[in-house]
Amino acid sequence: MTQQVSTPAELVSALADGELRGEALVQAVQWLQENDDARANWHAYHLVGDVLRSGELAALGTNDAAFVARLRSRLQDEVQFGQPGSDLPATDARTESLQGLSQHEVANDASFRWKLVAGFASVAAVVVVGWQLVVGVNASSGTPQLARVEVLPTQEQAQVMIRDPRLDQLLAAHRQSGGISAFQMPAGFLRNATYDRPAR
Amino acid sequence: MSLTFFSRLLLAGTVVVAAPFGLAQAPAAPANPVAEAPVQGPASQRSISEWLLRMHEASRRRAYRGTLVVSSGGNMASSRIWHVCDGEQQIERVESLTGVPRSTFRRNDQVITFSPQTKVAVAEQRESLGLFPNLLQSTDNAIDQFYTVRQTGSERVAGFEADVVQIEPRDKLRFAYRVWSEKKTGLVVKLQTLDGQGRVLEEVAFSELQLDAPVSMNKLARMMANTEGYKVESPELSKTSAAAEGWQLKQPVPGFKPMSCLRRPAANGAAGANSTLQWIFSDGLASVSLFIEVYERRRHGPEGLMAMGATHTLARRWSDKSGEWWLTAVGEVPAQTLQAFVQGLERGK
Repeated sequence: MTQQVSTPAELVSALADGELRGEALVQAVQWLQENDDARANWHAYHLVGDVLRSGELAALGTNDAAFVARLRSRLQDEVQFGQPGSDLPATDARTESLQGLSQHEVANDASFRWKLVAGFASVAAVVVVGWQLVVGVNASSGTPQLARVEVLPTQEQAQVMIRDPRLDQLLAAHRQSGGISAFQMPAGFLRNATYDRPAR
Repeated sequence: MSLTFFSRLLLAGTVVVAAPFGLAQAPAAPANPVAEAPVQGPASQRSISEWLLRMHEASRRRAYRGTLVVSSGGNMASSRIWHVCDGEQQIERVESLTGVPRSTFRRNDQVITFSPQTKVAVAEQRESLGLFPNLLQSTDNAIDQFYTVRQTGSERVAGFEADVVQIEPRDKLRFAYRVWSEKKTGLVVKLQTLDGQGRVLEEVAFSELQLDAPVSMNKLARMMANTEGYKVESPELSKTSAAAEGWQLKQPVPGFKPMSCLRRPAANGAAGANSTLQWIFSDGLASVSLFIEVYERRRHGPEGLMAMGATHTLARRWSDKSGEWWLTAVGEVPAQTLQAFVQGLERGK
């Protein structure tokens, strides 16, 4: 079992990505039927994917935004301290204060979507590491490697669009004080006044 | 401090700008660059500086109104533009037609943005608008050294014949630009930012334009000054220097010169130790802001690379014995340029 501990989690992950065919698919489904942890992983994986992929969802209500904020904070906890056996991110909702994202800043402004070029891959990898750890400890294997995970962007990665109010604020600051360009007067300023939200 | 820096750059740049053909008429002194006619060399032979000066002068000398369309990263936005100038000053009004309603007014480098929904008006001075053409002169070396220019033909944009000018980077640390410059005046009527494969990342273009339109400067000035019913806010910025803040670039990124360094309050409004340092670089066409904050697990993360049109951002956690920091590099440059900035950063003391 020790040698295989990470494989089921990877299978579930691959299943969620729709990458499995044939015997691997059968195996993954079977694993899901038999194993509570695997089903929890499956559920959380979809939840994570939904929230991160959907800017609308993330911007809809305080709970969703708080979820993303908590998720981020939890993911970092997991990577830094590797607390084994911790609950899935969504279940710890009550204890965290609602910080990290401010809602009204982005509401109704559909033009502010950031395309994740490499971030999502990193996040997904971190999630998988967290799960591997859970599975690994349950299976009483040795301590998994929990070094900071660096994932290079994959070429054919699906486009993930997200909202990030913090990043929007930095962008506004960049437009306001940076944006030093010979194009500023003839075009840059008009472009920014047309496209960007005003800086605060 | 920063003024001295710019003056010094300016002095160095003046020599360079005065040298190329056709530029003898160009203003050698920055005090009154509007006094002389813009460069009128043959289009096919113009240098980058000449093109940029010509485009810049057009916006200083012409009145126009029109509709501007910006497409960036799959999104589109549009606005109605009024622009008027009298040689001394120019006033501009930008009325958004998409997204959150807002009106932006600019008198030279003074900018005020009205948000009718929140009844807030943000008033600010944008140094970047006052820099040109000093900027062109100060970074002339960089622009010539890191970009090439060629006129690729003529096309009609918004009913006007325009020269199509291709500005190509000589390395992979910056994007290419394609500019449509109205033939008679030099006014930029369309601008594209292109990546290394020649794909358009972003486009700004007039869909409709009326050159030399009757735009009333007085009326625009009155509208700009009328803040009644609005809460007027100004960003709290303090000038500093990277060295004073204990930062340096051990490995400068080719072509990018440090232009300014600011401290701004934290995003949540708290001042003090949690404020954000903004270190600004430019190669004359593209600019990069390096934001440095004290790392807080609750606020920061995840690390990652994001893109919105031509603008890229790279967020990284950074630590050494001085502590843990959160870096965010933002700029209209390829991802690898941001990586170079983040990798080159060093705690200086």
